[in-house]
Amino acid sequence: MKPIRPGRLIAKAVLALAGFLAVFPLVWTALNALKNNVDIITRVPKVVFTPTLANISYILGRDSVLTGLYNSAVACGAAVLIGIVLGLPAAYAVARYPNRFAGDIQFFVLSLRFLPPVAVAIPLMVIWLQIGLYDTLPALIVTYSLLTISVIMWLAIPAFQGVPKEIEEAAFVDGYGAYSVFWRIALPVAARSLIGAIAFSFVLVWNEFLIALMLSSSNAKTLPIVASELSQQGMNVPWGILNASVVLLSLPPLLFLGVLSGFLNSVFRQKKS
Amino acid sequence: MRRRSSLPVTFLMPTLAILLVLSMVPTLYAIVIALQNRELSAPGYSWVWFSNFADLFSDRRFLNAVWVSVKWEIVTVVATMVVAIGLGVLMFEVAGPRLRNFYCLLFIIPVLLPRVSAAFVWKFAYHPLYGIATYPYRLVTGGLIFDPLSKPGTALFAVALVDVWQWGLFFAVIVLKLLETLPPQPIEAARLDHAKRWQIHAYVTLPMLKAPLISLMFVKMIESLRSFDLIYVMTRGGPGVATETLDMYAFSQGFIESGKVSYASAMAVLMMIATVITFTMLWKRVQA
Repeated sequence: MKPIRPGRLIAKAVLALAGFLAVFPLVWTALNALKNNVDIITRVPKVVFTPTLANISYILGRDSVLTGLYNSAVACGAAVLIGIVLGLPAAYAVARYPNRFAGDIQFFVLSLRFLPPVAVAIPLMVIWLQIGLYDTLPALIVTYSLLTISVIMWLAIPAFQGVPKEIEEAAFVDGYGAYSVFWRIALPVAARSLIGAIAFSFVLVWNEFLIALMLSSSNAKTLPIVASELSQQGMNVPWGILNASVVLLSLPPLLFLGVLSGFLNSVFRQKKS
Repeated sequence: MRRRSSLPVTFLMPTLAILLVLSMVPTLYAIVIALQNRELSAPGYSWVWFSNFADLFSDRRFLNAVWVSVKWEIVTVVATMVVAIGLGVLMFEVAGPRLRNFYCLLFIIPVLLPRVSAAFVWKFAYHPLYGIATYPYRLVTGGLIFDPLSKPGTALFAVALVDVWQWGLFFAVIVLKLLETLPPQPIEAARLDHAKRWQIHAYVTLPMLKAPLISLMFVKMIESLRSFDLIYVMTRGGPGVATETLDMYAFSQGFIESGKVSYASAMAVLMMIATVITFTMLWKRVQA
């Protein structure tokens, strides 16, 4: 039986509308970043305008933005690196050497995600103040490591479980030790999923706001904080500049779009098989 | 069989030790602070034990924040699941493989954005005079002003829409992938029985996906707790206290208005206890 045509047509229209709504607000923001203020503050939205790079060059020329960019890059980069070094081996151990605590360990790692960020940020602020590390990058890196280690570990466990056991067994028979099986077999075979997990953890800390807001006052501000401060000066700041800062802030996570959607696909392909 | 190896210990122990320290130190310290009367402005403090908690329950703004948080949780979780299942099923029904991939890519974009960015994008869009989202209203009404973020009745929903924009679309992709993993036979069988399309999904596919869909809802419930960034940028808890969730109120008590760190911490501790108990119970049920 063929489905009724109008229903199908409506369904397609709804989907197309959803697809439009998914990207249009962002596209509009990007367009506004290229507009002069007079072209933004109009009652009827302007689609045709003379583009300007003034907003973008203004943003890239401000010290606060550059410092924020630097802080974000260092804090997120270092935290992700720590997450890789500590999270991947631990995930492999859970995946391949099951013991009776494996379930509890997985639950513990997941439960770190239940902790309300305020509940972590308030005491950490007091602690960092007391040891004199408040408003420094090391404090932020250590705090973010909790996030990256647990997320990478959580996502890497199924990735390592997806590596066919036979390959590893064969390597053992060939005389490989447990560590070289991890290095030379498990890591390379699971690499694609692992890169997805790592990219995800990067996006998570890059986008983090509350903890960075509470743990920095001037020196260690990350880019999201700097961007939000631009608007605290009221709507007097030219909108084009605000829009440009939003675009700058959003670009790095969007660079991982391909990697992450590939990761999603591989997760579900595994489930199917 | 694998030989006995030191690997599990050397790989697991350091990481678990570090995770334990990084999570337990702030958690326990949050409880310690909550039992004291620390303020940001004054260095001295003393132990006041449970008086912060007692004060909370007679604080009407706190009770309001609890209510707002509960509303936020319900609205965002339900709307996300409805949007996700709706769009997921639609993609499954009417889109071919290439179109599916295209939509999946589009639908993942919003969730990748930093919450701060998403909040700004929509804050501009909601602007009563120049916003793109309020433009259709201005066009239809001939220039009447509608400011969703400044009305107590609509502000929470306007912010929730941004949350659903990010998570609902993303989860639609996951629902589609889940549908694709189902074996085709039951669907074929239902079709042979002349079941309508929506009936197939309501009675066959979605019940088959009950467990993963509940897990998905569980994830969303956890993520909905992280509403702070959106609310901080878009409304700051306003108008009045209409969108003041618990984390927003804790933040403004601790850092904006009075610097009462201990009071804020008491709130955070209550939140922590509530969420850890609820989610542990839910998780055990989902796993069972």
